[in-house]
Amino acid sequence: MRLGLVVDLDKCVGCNACAIACKQWNTSGTSGSLTDYNPYGADPSGVFFNRIRHYETGNYPENKTVHFPMSCMHCEEAACVTVCPTGASYKREEDGIVLVDPEKCMGCNYCAWACPYGARELDREEGVMKKCTLCVDRIYDEKLPKSERKPACVMTCPTSARYFGDFDDPNSEVSRVSSDRGGQDLFAELGYKPVNKYLSPRDKVQVNQHEIREPNLVTKVKDWVNKVVEL
Amino acid sequence: MHPAFSVIFFTVVSGAGYALISLLCLFNFLNFGMLIDKNTFFIIAITSAVLFTMGLISSTFHLANPKNAWRAFMRFKTSWLAREGLLAILFYPILALYLYFIYIDMQINNFMLMQYYSFLIFTISTVIIYCTGMIYACLKTIPQWNTIWTPINYITIGFALAALIFFFILNLNGYDTTSYENYILSMIAFSLATKLTYYFVIRLPKYNIADATNAAVKLKSTNVRLLDVGHTGGTFLTDEFGYKVAERKLFRIKILSIFSGFIIPFFLIYTYSFIYENIALCSLAIFLSFIGMISERWLFFAQAKHVVNLYHGVENV
Amino acid sequence: MATKQDKISFKKNATTSNSFEMPQFEDRDKQTQKHTTCYMCACRCGIKVTLENNKIRYIEGTPSHPVNKGVLCAKGNAGIMKQISPARLRQPLMRKPGSERGTSEFVPISWEDALDMLTERLQKIRETDPKKLAFFTGRDQMQALTGLWAQQFGTINWAAHGGFCSVNMASAGLYTTGFSFWEFGDPDWDKTKYFLLWGVAEDHASNPIKIGIGKLKERGAKFVSINPVRTGYQAVADEWVPIIPGTDAMLALSMVHVLLKNELFDWEFLVRYTNAHYLVVDTPRKKGDGLFYRNEDDIPQSWDLEKKCLVNAVDPKIKPALLGKYTAPDGTPLKTVFSIMIARYMDDEYSPEEASKICGVPAEQIEKIALEMAHVAFKETIEVDTEWTDWTGKKHDKFIGRPVSMHAMRGISAHSNGFQACRAIHFLQVLLGSVDCPGGHLAKPPYPKHIVPPIKPGKKVVPGQPLESFPLGFPTEPEDLCIDKDGNPLRIDKAYSWEAPIANHGLMHMAITNAVAGDPYEIDTMIFFMANMAWNSSMNTSKIREDLCAKNEDGEYKIPFLVVCDAFDSETVGYADLVIPDTTYLERYDTISILDRPISEPHAVCDSIRSPILKPDRDVRPWQTVLVELASRLKFPEFTTEDGGRKYKDYKDFIVNYEKAPGIGFLAGWRGKDGEKSLRGEPNQNQWEKYIENKSFFEYKLDDNLKYFRGVNKDYLEFAKKSGFVGSTKPIIIELYSEKLQKFKLAGQGLYDGPQPTKERDQFRLSRFFDPIPEHYIPLEHRCSFSSKFPFYAITQRPMFMYHSWDSQNAWLRQLQAHNYMHMNKKKGEELGIKDLSWVWVESNTGKIKVQVKLMEGCQTNTLWTWNAIGKQKGKWGLSDDANESTKGFLLNHLINEHLPCADTGSPVTNSDPITGQAAWYDLKVNIYPAGDDEQFGVYPNFEAGQKVFGQPESKNVLRYNTKKPVRLSRSLKDIITKGGFEK
Repeated sequence: MRLGLVVDLDKCVGCNACAIACKQWNTSGTSGSLTDYNPYGADPSGVFFNRIRHYETGNYPENKTVHFPMSCMHCEEAACVTVCPTGASYKREEDGIVLVDPEKCMGCNYCAWACPYGARELDREEGVMKKCTLCVDRIYDEKLPKSERKPACVMTCPTSARYFGDFDDPNSEVSRVSSDRGGQDLFAELGYKPVNKYLSPRDKVQVNQHEIREPNLVTKVKDWVNKVVEL
Repeated sequence: MHPAFSVIFFTVVSGAGYALISLLCLFNFLNFGMLIDKNTFFIIAITSAVLFTMGLISSTFHLANPKNAWRAFMRFKTSWLAREGLLAILFYPILALYLYFIYIDMQINNFMLMQYYSFLIFTISTVIIYCTGMIYACLKTIPQWNTIWTPINYITIGFALAALIFFFILNLNGYDTTSYENYILSMIAFSLATKLTYYFVIRLPKYNIADATNAAVKLKSTNVRLLDVGHTGGTFLTDEFGYKVAERKLFRIKILSIFSGFIIPFFLIYTYSFIYENIALCSLAIFLSFIGMISERWLFFAQAKHVVNLYHGVENV
Repeated sequence: MATKQDKISFKKNATTSNSFEMPQFEDRDKQTQKHTTCYMCACRCGIKVTLENNKIRYIEGTPSHPVNKGVLCAKGNAGIMKQISPARLRQPLMRKPGSERGTSEFVPISWEDALDMLTERLQKIRETDPKKLAFFTGRDQMQALTGLWAQQFGTINWAAHGGFCSVNMASAGLYTTGFSFWEFGDPDWDKTKYFLLWGVAEDHASNPIKIGIGKLKERGAKFVSINPVRTGYQAVADEWVPIIPGTDAMLALSMVHVLLKNELFDWEFLVRYTNAHYLVVDTPRKKGDGLFYRNEDDIPQSWDLEKKCLVNAVDPKIKPALLGKYTAPDGTPLKTVFSIMIARYMDDEYSPEEASKICGVPAEQIEKIALEMAHVAFKETIEVDTEWTDWTGKKHDKFIGRPVSMHAMRGISAHSNGFQACRAIHFLQVLLGSVDCPGGHLAKPPYPKHIVPPIKPGKKVVPGQPLESFPLGFPTEPEDLCIDKDGNPLRIDKAYSWEAPIANHGLMHMAITNAVAGDPYEIDTMIFFMANMAWNSSMNTSKIREDLCAKNEDGEYKIPFLVVCDAFDSETVGYADLVIPDTTYLERYDTISILDRPISEPHAVCDSIRSPILKPDRDVRPWQTVLVELASRLKFPEFTTEDGGRKYKDYKDFIVNYEKAPGIGFLAGWRGKDGEKSLRGEPNQNQWEKYIENKSFFEYKLDDNLKYFRGVNKDYLEFAKKSGFVGSTKPIIIELYSEKLQKFKLAGQGLYDGPQPTKERDQFRLSRFFDPIPEHYIPLEHRCSFSSKFPFYAITQRPMFMYHSWDSQNAWLRQLQAHNYMHMNKKKGEELGIKDLSWVWVESNTGKIKVQVKLMEGCQTNTLWTWNAIGKQKGKWGLSDDANESTKGFLLNHLINEHLPCADTGSPVTNSDPITGQAAWYDLKVNIYPAGDDEQFGVYPNFEAGQKVFGQPESKNVLRYNTKKPVRLSRSLKDIITKGGFEK
């Protein structure tokens, strides 16, 4: 299995539902707690696994805005796993999820240096690195109804811009939607082979215009004739 | 990158320490015209051990969860940090045995054994410095580090510092070091050359914001800019990787490091034998060089731009 | 870290053979799940709350809920942090005797004493002059209860916040098609092919809009967004139209021009379902001009093309003319409504070339969008095969769908020309025939309602008696106004006066100013519920804060007694004389009723409840409960039995047993003795339990033939009448031409047989702005002579993850936005030498602020914008004194004046839409220039730190929330040592 996400940038409206759902699920889950620093003071910050950044492309008025959720890509050749000296950072053979074992992590930050996507954050209170677990504590939970055995971010996304599944299964939703729309690896030239795929914003929808009235038939109101329409 | 002083101290001091023992054993191996007495030998060896031990201890200070530090060499199969850690640990018994053999004059009856052993120590300690450099150089995410010139510089700079210390201790113990000066000077000059080569190699940015956000833009050349980073306070990422220094300050420190680390010590040694045979000048050379190398290492971190900055609005790294 | 690992083995995916074991991450036996309704904003999604160890483990959307269908936005997901916010009020408080109002110096008071104090004071007011009580409610969604309470008390001085929120949007629709946007109507997300989003950054249809946009994108429907700023939803639009704020009517009517010019409108729709064929009296400058021509039975007339004479316009069998000038038998010159429309909109004034100069949208684009909509409406028509009967009795075998839809909100509404602008948007919908049809703009039950519901605003105040009518209503003529015989306003907010005749939601933003000015009179007690009037909900914040503390010569406060009810320590709480602490939404019973702001879907009648998930850990009570208690103590007739006893034990009892009309109560589900009836039925004593059993919501799906064209759908009208939604089964004919507005216009012109304004200013406003068909006019503030000194428009947007002033007390959400910037077009900023992230002065005619600027591409050239309500007063909302909200965050409110700065004659007039009194927030014009080198840091103005009120805990430096010790997943040592790299 090669589990991962597809994020559809064509539908993401930047609402942050996924970021907060992730925070909420994980703070009381297997990675918990997710610390918040200065929660009611200046420059509040905290441990988040999923963050939404917003970019603009092009120049006014042809500019476009893109909302960009970013979380761990569960790369096939994850540098964060390669560099970890204690072995706390690992990629599961069974399903490809990249995890941190908090009991082994020594908090050296090396994995964060190796991750281009900023997927890992240090929880200073515990001294260990934390990151997206692909909701490993949800997806195998047989006490959840099957339709809910998905990451919290996927369940909550209001525009259905996030998909979850097995990329090794050609019939899974993620495989199909990625092949239909050309799923992209983010920052592919670094060579980490991210499993998560992004779908680029689609080309603009084209609609035909209704024909206009011939110029020589226009426009004096006097020329218009009442149609007889029964109520 | 946020320059953590403990890491800077670690790499400079341990680099000097391993290079010093390396140099000592190389010296022993090559058997230069003059042999060193055991006392001096041990002074140099202990100095180097103190240096690299201080360095190793210092490296644990930046750990957020040091109680797991003992696991740090488990993943030597893939991790340069683990490799460095493993070799550093194994080095202690290997070096201890070697020093014991020196103490009991093993070379008298087992000259070839000691030759090989000297060469082994030289090799291992050099490789340890190489591993230290590779910790940084293997990271594609930091283009300024991702070059062979990083570990090369760790080695040459370590040797330059070690050479100065070696020179100093020999002089302190009354040796005439005139015939070694050229070698010391060439090591300093060589390290400056490798350092300048490094600055040349990393002069151009490698990635820009369009590379990083390729999925959002169809044509890479479209003007891409950050609209909103998604949080108004800092995060772990901005704390760790968002370190910004004014270009002018970087330049000034660069000049300082080159002069203090290489040029002034070079001249102090150059003039040593024919102007002023003063041991104090020699220690000044070490001190200045040390300051210079610390600054250089600080620069190494401060000017490094992690690609994650591209997602935070930096235009290129 | 030893953890109990109850390992559960599971069956793996078939692609691999070996199974492996997972620890039991969640101990379901220790968890309970309850369903309730979210209240992080007014969307009111259904949520499933998982509790563990008496704390909230997780909040998620209820999958079967009609509003959100299982999804949940960032706010809903952050409910935990709302629930544990240190800003929660903890007990009733009284202003410390001897202290000054506004200093937040309080002493605790017991509930009994608080209620006794309030009852005594209110009793006195009720017995002498009930209108001395001004009761205004803010973010609440329970107007049916608070309005009933006010009516029973006998005060006309009640309104909710709609007057400063979106009354333009609501009223325009109610006076045109019988329903509007948001809770009144929705785009047909499933079938629409072309969608326009006008002036929406985020709206209370929060999750439904997102779900809908997701569906549109999947289907390849075109999404056009009309908004000066390209953030949020606008990012995913196919086409972004950066319009100049306040010119949307021009854009809409120019598109109307294009449609008319090319004869691209739904002729049949206009004839059958609108008043386009009604005949209008054409006697300029004479009495009766512009009113419908009516026969002796007072029925409007049309010209029958076959019979070639006048016929009753409402008869089912006529064949009326849409165009033409005719003469009545008595010689009165007449013309059809449509002829008036054509004469207006086909004039060059509304041509795309001229419109472009005003709204900033290129002429080609205006024409293109209009023609695209026409193509979709007429060449890509859809049909739903269902038999249905229209109001004339004619049977149809299908619903014809013109799949063009729209949604509009505050960007249109919050202008002094917003009512007409919103009407203009409805005009577009009507011409395209896309009203309540498949793929078009669908009504949501209990709408559509007749134009307008026959409720007149109450005006007769009698001590000790309820009002004869609900305090808010729908005026249709000058006789309905709440004015005295001299034409002076009767209400403290001057709603339903000549200043704001059709003020259907009141003018809450004027209440404090008028009360303090004693204009039209002084009041005794002011009660604010869930409204932050001392901060972001008022224009001209500093002045309002001073007003609240203003004193008479005798040293008494001009507002003698101020009661504030809220759940959190807001800026306004600091000004109270009595603080009534409310519960959070997870701690109370509540109803989301069809009688209030419904949560229906287009094809399902829905309502819902809240029930307590947690017990409050402090001495607070739900406001609804307090209101029922006060109503009982004050012996309101509806709350008192015949023998003078208490009718309702508590709020729950009231909801179950109160009937507004026979069989109609607050909750429509599970009525009847055994809960077997829907929509209408006797009270069911187990109704609350039934709701709780059913995930806290009720959904009544409409039959297929009742789903569309409901205003003219015979079966639907009968169903609606039976259910109590409408009062008659007469068809709801779309009022393109508003005779109601014309009456007010005539009154302004001095041509009306009835009450007329005497002040020149009011005469001008009524004759100029009360056009019976929409037009674009320059917003009032922009007419002021100083306006040219302020070349920039300044607006706010609502972020998707915050709701008004709420959510700065939320530890997770405020990490996303703890302070705001003034955004500006990059090129324009560079032209003016303004650097990104520098500090600038933004100045209006009223005041100036110092803020940090951010340059961006996606911003209309002459528009500045910021996020709404981020700035906070130091020390409030449970935040520390150095929180960004008070050091870098700012409000735009300081630049806005609640009075029009350039009122020409007489007393100041409200800075609002002259028709509805809607607060004209976005009319603001400003100038921007760099701050000096020594002025670089810190916002201006600054306010003194507000003390934490009595009993508020200190906020922590580090927060680590969880409900249990985490169950870890371990990696074995063997795995660590033996695993290699990524070998293939």
